[in-house]
Parts: sequence; structure tokens; C-alpha cells
Amino acid sequence: MSTLTPLGVLAVALGGAGCVAVLECVVAGTRLAPATMARLASTTVRQPLRRPATYDSWLFHLAPGLLLIAAVMALATVPWAPGFRGVDFQAGVILFGGALAYVTPAVFMAGWGVGTPLGVVGGFRWLALMLAYAMPLAMVVTAVAAPAGSLRPSDIVEVQHAVPMALVQPLAFALWLPAIVAVCFLPPFDLPQADSELGGGAFAGYGGLDAAIVWLAQRVLLVAVSGMTAALFLSGWHGPLLPPAIWMAVKTVGVATLVLWAGRRLPRMEVDRTLALAWKVANPLAIVAIVIAGALTLAFYR
Amino acid sequence: MSDLGTALVFWPSAAIMLVTALYVFITSSMARAGLLLLAALGIEGLIFVALASEFLGFLQLLMMSGEMVIMVFFMVMFMPDPGGLMGMDMTHDKRRSAAVAAAVTVALAAVAVLTDWPARVVGDDAPDVRAIGFEVMGRSMVTFLFAAMTILFAMVGGVLLAKAGGRYGIGAPLGEARGEPGD
Repeated sequence: MSTLTPLGVLAVALGGAGCVAVLECVVAGTRLAPATMARLASTTVRQPLRRPATYDSWLFHLAPGLLLIAAVMALATVPWAPGFRGVDFQAGVILFGGALAYVTPAVFMAGWGVGTPLGVVGGFRWLALMLAYAMPLAMVVTAVAAPAGSLRPSDIVEVQHAVPMALVQPLAFALWLPAIVAVCFLPPFDLPQADSELGGGAFAGYGGLDAAIVWLAQRVLLVAVSGMTAALFLSGWHGPLLPPAIWMAVKTVGVATLVLWAGRRLPRMEVDRTLALAWKVANPLAIVAIVIAGALTLAFYR
Repeated sequence: MSDLGTALVFWPSAAIMLVTALYVFITSSMARAGLLLLAALGIEGLIFVALASEFLGFLQLLMMSGEMVIMVFFMVMFMPDPGGLMGMDMTHDKRRSAAVAAAVTVALAAVAVLTDWPARVVGDDAPDVRAIGFEVMGRSMVTFLFAAMTILFAMVGGVLLAKAGGRYGIGAPLGEARGEPGD
């Protein structure tokens, strides 16, 4: 188990990213033959690396790698089944938050590194958005950890053996869902790239392997946050009849489908409106969620 | 982790941390400086993890990312040459700054060397999260609140100084006044 764990996490990352790609086609209602997808993947990877006219070489080329490391690190903390997770730390959900926090500098590095006006605008939009959304995300994690009395993800799954946390703390769940979509820079929060207004924005300068890594990292991020949502809010591997790992997979796919479906149906959020919503509504509500979590913990979980 | 393992992680990481911290002052790009500082402080977080203080380490990784990104934001806003492309010299008042820097270094080094650090080794299963919670909510609360308020005032003050008109309260030049009436 111990020596195979890193390989297991990599397999989940690569397999999960592939599943997300298939899921995207299903949600969009397009039919892509596997051969077509393989051809697309191979042309992307074999494309030569693009170098913009003026760019910050260090930041430009480090950004996709940092993005992928952050995504895989976040994925490693997700408890997939009793006894199967990449890393098992006492403060696992903090590591999950810490890994996601590095998506912020990575996307900013991409936008600043490419040096085009639209790229820099994309990077700065993203900074503003994530500074506003990182706080509710961290506070909601606290609200979920309180009933379990532990920051270890598997303990939080165990405390939901009777009732999923989404039913106990609907407010925390409602704050969590938009925040995880924003972390993955997926629509309706795809502000850094925003194809229709910034034309690729922070990632417009990437081609070849760089672009492929960004693409992969975004899908791995979606797998990681969907898995963590299933673990923290939907009682993880608990469920009747089916084996634990299957339940976890079903819930993860369900969350990912919901995120992708919502992204196709909702219009992109305006930057200033999103920020106002995050600072004036989501942050105060997150504090309320912590208070509710404290009361629930004192009343039912001791 | 064994003592040898800890040492193998600690010393190279500490060296890389010092080098990245040094480059913060060598580069003239504000984005690079902020992100290098993030690298230095992130490596510090990894050192915490290697020293078996995982909660503090992860918290360091989490908080420093957000804080350094805010710093990049502020530096790019305030500096006349944020990309470092115009060859501006960003150092001022060199002799006195050097004196202050040397004095602070000596003072911090003295504190580090002269403090009677606890030599107790905490086991792997020690509930450090709980202990830190009681420390923060008890004895150290005033310290933390004071630091937090200082940072908040510094940020608000910085924005006030930087806004059109600046600290002298001069009205914004015509055409730069922004916002609709009643906004």
C-alpha cells in the first residue's frame, strides 16, 4: 500500500482527468469518438511550445507546473475509501486548502508571465476573485471539521455515517459549491481566461505541452474538489449495498456533473458583482455557518 | 521522521529558502519579488512539516499564499515600475537602511541564539492542533489581535495614501473623478 500510494494518486489524477473530459462531452451533448480525442491530445502535446513576444520567462514556464502540483497535492488529501488516500495527515483538510491556495499564484504567474494586456487583466481579476473566495472556503472547512472534532478528512467522513453534512449544514454546503467552482476557474467563474471577453486571458499565450498541462491541471482540480465535496458533505464512502469505493466514485461523478452542467447553463459572473457578492454576502454568511456549526457540535456531536 | 531524514530535509531547504529570500531583493520586478518571497515562506512551511509540526506547516503554506499574493497586488499598484523593465533604482537612503537592517539582523540572531528553546520532543500523535488552539485563544490572543489590527490599519492607510489626491487631500484631477453620483 505505502509504496504504491503515489502511483495510485497519479492513476486517479490521470484517469479522473480523462473521465472529466468524457463527462464534458456528455454534458455538452457532443459526441467525440475516442480516436478523435486521442488525435486532439497528441496534436496538443506535440505542438511546439509557444513563446510570446515579451514575457517573463520564469513565471510563464513555472505557472503550469505549479498549477499541476497544486492540483495533485489537493487530490492526494482526498479520502477515496477506508484506508486509501494519498497522504494521511492529522490536519489533512488544511493541506487541501493549502494546496488549493497555490492555484491563485499559479494563475497570476501565467497572466503576468505572458505579458499581454488581456493576460495581465485575467491574472488580476483572478487574484481579486480568489482573495474574496478563499476565506469562505477556509471558514466552511472549519464548520465541517467542528462536528468531527478533527481536521483529518477520514474522521470527517466517519462522523457522517448517519446523516450527510450537506443536510446538517445546508448553508455551509451552499457557500462551498460556488467556491469550489471558482477555485477550478470553470464557468460561470472562468474570469481569468473568459474566452468570449478576454480571448483566453491568462492562458492565451500557452501552446503545446504548457497548454496540455494547464488543461490537465484544471481537470485534476475538478476531480479533487468533487472528491473532497463528496467526502466532506455527502458522507463519502458511506452508503447501502455497494462497496465504499463505488459510492465515493458515484458521488464524485455526481458533483463533477453538477459543476459542469451549471457551468454550461449559467452566464459568466461580472467581476465587480462577484466580488461584491463574495465580500458582502458570502463572507458574513460563512461566519454565521461557523456559529451554526459550533451550536450543532455542542448539541449533537459530543 | 528520523533525525537523519529531518536533517536531510532541513538544511538544503533552509539554504534554498535563504537564496530565494536574497533574490527577493535582487530582482527589480515586483511580481517576481513577491512570488520569490512566497517561495521562501512556502519552503519554510515545508520545513515545519519536516520538523513534525504539520498543522503549523500547512497553515503557513495556506496563509502565506494568500498574503504574498495580496502583497504582489499592492506592490504592483504602488510601484511606478512594477515590471522592473525601466531600470529604475528602487533603493533609497542606502546608508541608514543598511544600518537598520544590520541592527535588526543582529537583534533577531541574538534572540534566536539566546532564547532557552524547549528541548522536549513531541510525539507524532501529539494533538498539536488542540494545543495551538488553546494557546491562540488564551495567552497569545492579545498579541494576535494587536498584530491583526496593525496589519489592517497599514493596509487601509496605504490605500488612503495612494488614492488620487494622496495624503494632502487634494481633489482628484478633472476627468479622474470616478463613480456615478450616488455610487
